[in-house]
Amino acid sequence: MVTPRRDRKWQFVVDMDRCSGCQACVVACQAENNIPINSEAQFNQHRAVEWIRIERYWEGEFPNVKARFLPVLCQQCGNAPCEPVCPVYATYHNNEGLNVQVYNRCVGTRYCQNNCPYHIRFFNFWEPVWPESLRNQLNPDVTVRSRGIMEKCTFCVQRIRRAELDAARTGKPVGERGSEQEVGLQPACVQACPTGTLVFGDLNDPEHFPTLAKLVKHERRFRLLESLGTEPNVVYLKKVDLEAKEEVHGA
Amino acid sequence: MPRVRPSIVVPLVLFGGGGLAVLGVAVFFLANAWFGVPVGAQGPVQPIAFPHTVHAGAPAEDGTGGLGLSCTFCHRNVEQGAAATVPAVEQCMFCHAAVGGTTETAQAEIQKLRDTAKVGEPILWKRVYRLPDHVQFVHDVHVRLLSQQQGVTPSETCSTCHGQVETMIKVTQVRSLKMGDCVDCHRQYTAPTDCAICHY
Ligand code: HEC
Ligand code: HEC
Ligand code: HEC
Ligand code: HEC
Ligand code: HEC
Repeated sequence: MVTPRRDRKWQFVVDMDRCSGCQACVVACQAENNIPINSEAQFNQHRAVEWIRIERYWEGEFPNVKARFLPVLCQQCGNAPCEPVCPVYATYHNNEGLNVQVYNRCVGTRYCQNNCPYHIRFFNFWEPVWPESLRNQLNPDVTVRSRGIMEKCTFCVQRIRRAELDAARTGKPVGERGSEQEVGLQPACVQACPTGTLVFGDLNDPEHFPTLAKLVKHERRFRLLESLGTEPNVVYLKKVDLEAKEEVHGA
Repeated sequence: MPRVRPSIVVPLVLFGGGGLAVLGVAVFFLANAWFGVPVGAQGPVQPIAFPHTVHAGAPAEDGTGGLGLSCTFCHRNVEQGAAATVPAVEQCMFCHAAVGGTTETAQAEIQKLRDTAKVGEPILWKRVYRLPDHVQFVHDVHVRLLSQQQGVTPSETCSTCHGQVETMIKVTQVRSLKMGDCVDCHRQYTAPTDCAICHY
């Protein structure tokens, strides 16, 4: 008998009230996922690769300005606009709620990028290069994408796989914190986040992912561009603003 | 029917035949590369001619057999993780600090081993089995499942994919382990065939 597998539904919660815009998640993601170093020129060309980025908004007029931070990563949409446009089925939805990108299947048409409303898919316009000193820090569990390939946040699928395999070997369940009784699983950005803005877990397993289970139903909950019907798997929690006045948006 | 001049037919047949032959050879090599065991099936030349027969071969009554070491004695990580791993030089030296070899070739090879150990550098073994970088393979699940299923020790499962390594003086690849091969077996065992199991 093959190892029984749990029915997973991976989800993220981003609590915007906690985000301080420190960019630790961006750096952690860069290191974990073999993302090449972005140069200033690449940013200017809008060709920088950042699987998770912090969008910054200013609110109000000087001197009463407030900075607002919005971490944006692949929303792993349940009804993903990127998937049906791929002519070679390199991107598809798997049964764990992940929007998978099969790099070796990808031929680089960039249709998916054009169809993504969150601008969270990135194309490798160049062969990635790292300084010699960083060669040995490449993560062996993650494919190094070559030129001409689309890439995006995977919810750190390599960590999910490793945790599931460790769990199968040791007989312990996978949980949000590593402990004597459970195999810990956190994507790199969640692990690096100092304020607990990012929470990751399996929606079908509230016992081992209690933080996610609690926050996912929070009253401040919303999802990015929900009106498009993309059914994102990333849930945002609104900022708590004590001075905010009641305001009707889009009126 | 228009008459065809023999001056056209002769070169046509000659070159046509030659072209066909070239095409045939090309098709053969392509088909071989695609379906067969990868090119270089003889296995790479290793820095030290390490014979699995001597170490892992079954011991014989008259002393001509191998030492009968189990595969997991050297490939220690095979039940714990993705890579089987090849033993460190120190582990070879457990024995070879004392065992110098009986024949001349054995002595020469073991001397190379001792020299490397003295310098404190790893041996740069060449990989025999190598999947492309975009494929993630894990040993532990396979070894655990196959040993449970067949009721054998973990060391006896290796032959499913690697053949009878204990009878190979030099390790060579015996199974194609292309995607079709992996997926066929996964279907047979109802193991997952989701792309994201192997590609990420
Ligand atoms: C399901 C098939 C399968 C089984 C069973 C299997 N292997 Fe492998 N082995 C592979 C594949 C495929 C590779 C290449 C992995 C790669 O390139 O990432 C490999 C690579 C290796 C390597 C070299 C790279 C490494 O991982 O260190 C060693 C050594 C090895 N196997 C030993 C063993 C031993 C010992 C056993 C038995 C305990 C075993 N294998 C069982 C398929 C298998
Ligand atoms: C359990 C003890 C043991 C270990 C561990 C061991 N060997 Fe050996 N090895 C032997 C014995 C015994 C012989 C046979 C020597 C002879 O009689 O010629 C031998 C023979 C050899 C030979 C010569 C074979 C020939 O006939 O040409 C080489 C080369 C060699 N070993 C390399 C290694 C390397 C490399 C390692 C580490 C991966 C290693 N050995 C680990 C016991 C061991
Ligand atoms: C004495 C230690 C030792 C034992 C015991 C041993 N091996 Fe190895 N094995 C090695 C070393 C050293 C290498 C690297 C040199 C080479 O490829 O020939 C190796 C290489 C291999 C490779 C090729 C790895 C690659 O580069 O892809 C396979 C497969 C393998 N062993 C399988 C086995 C199996 C199966 C057994 C049990 C029958 C076994 N080994 C027993 C030391 C050992
Ligand atoms: C001999 C049959 C066999 C072959 C050949 C085989 N597999 Fe598997 N593999 C299995 C089985 C059975 C399982 C499920 C084990 C379990 O769940 O207990 C499995 C599981 C896996 C897993 C782990 C799945 C998970 O849950 O994360 C990966 C990864 C994998 N195989 C990759 C490969 C690759 C890559 C190849 C080809 C190089 C390959 N396998 C060849 C039988 C095989
Ligand atoms: C059980 C593991 C496994 C699964 C599941 C799997 N692949 Fe593969 N795939 C491989 C291996 C191994 C190779 C490398 C073959 C080789 O050595 O060239 C490969 C190679 C490829 C290639 C490169 C072309 C080639 O043949 O070398 C593409 C494209 C590909 N896979 C697409 C997919 C897609 C799409 C899926 C999901 C429908 C998928 N794979 C599922 C193991 C797997």
